[in-house]
Amino acid sequence: MTDVIKEDQVLDCSGMLCPMPVVKTSKAMKEMQSGQVLKMVATDPGAPPDMEAWSRQTGNELMRSMTEGGKFIFYLKKK
Amino acid sequence: MSVWKTNDPDTKKILYVQTHGEKDPERTATPFFLATAGAAMDNEVCIYFTMNGPQCVAKGNGDTIIIPRKGGGGKELKFFIEQAQEIGVRFLVCQPSLDLHGYTMDDMIEGVEMIGGAAFNDMACDADAVIGF
Repeated sequence: MTDVIKEDQVLDCSGMLCPMPVVKTSKAMKEMQSGQVLKMVATDPGAPPDMEAWSRQTGNELMRSMTEGGKFIFYLKKK
Repeated sequence: MSVWKTNDPDTKKILYVQTHGEKDPERTATPFFLATAGAAMDNEVCIYFTMNGPQCVAKGNGDTIIIPRKGGGGKELKFFIEQAQEIGVRFLVCQPSLDLHGYTMDDMIEGVEMIGGAAFNDMACDADAVIGF
């Protein structure tokens, strides 16, 4: 049983294609405070490797990456 | 002084080079959207338009260059241009490739900057990555 992560904000990028999920995530995170968590939902099959790379490059932590009902869900913590 | 603006050693600098224009619409959108993704990763990103590249950022061409899609329903290049500009990607051109098409800076869309060959090479040497199309 994994711990439940409580998000501060939700961003639905369902139906959006590369690079929109990355762009929208970047914009949303810029408006958030350090330590806050963004839950991002995407359907683009490129999203999992993209969000991993985005996290590694920007230093914002990808806390969890999962698939649920055909959607990709990411929990990102603002650095 | 470098064309690059960042002084932060942690910010990476990515330089895209676009050489294609009106004749190859299928080759025009990719540099814009890769640059957009790069900027969304907090990098400093520029696109240098040379050879036929300046056609991509000439006034009006954003509406007339349509990125083809098999089965129809292509998208206008303007969408990708605006997406890149909105996130802070800078567009650069040089005089000889404007002359090639009879363009002046007045023919370029808002925000396009003029550099020369020396500045381009200087940027390339300072960049963390240079990607050519």
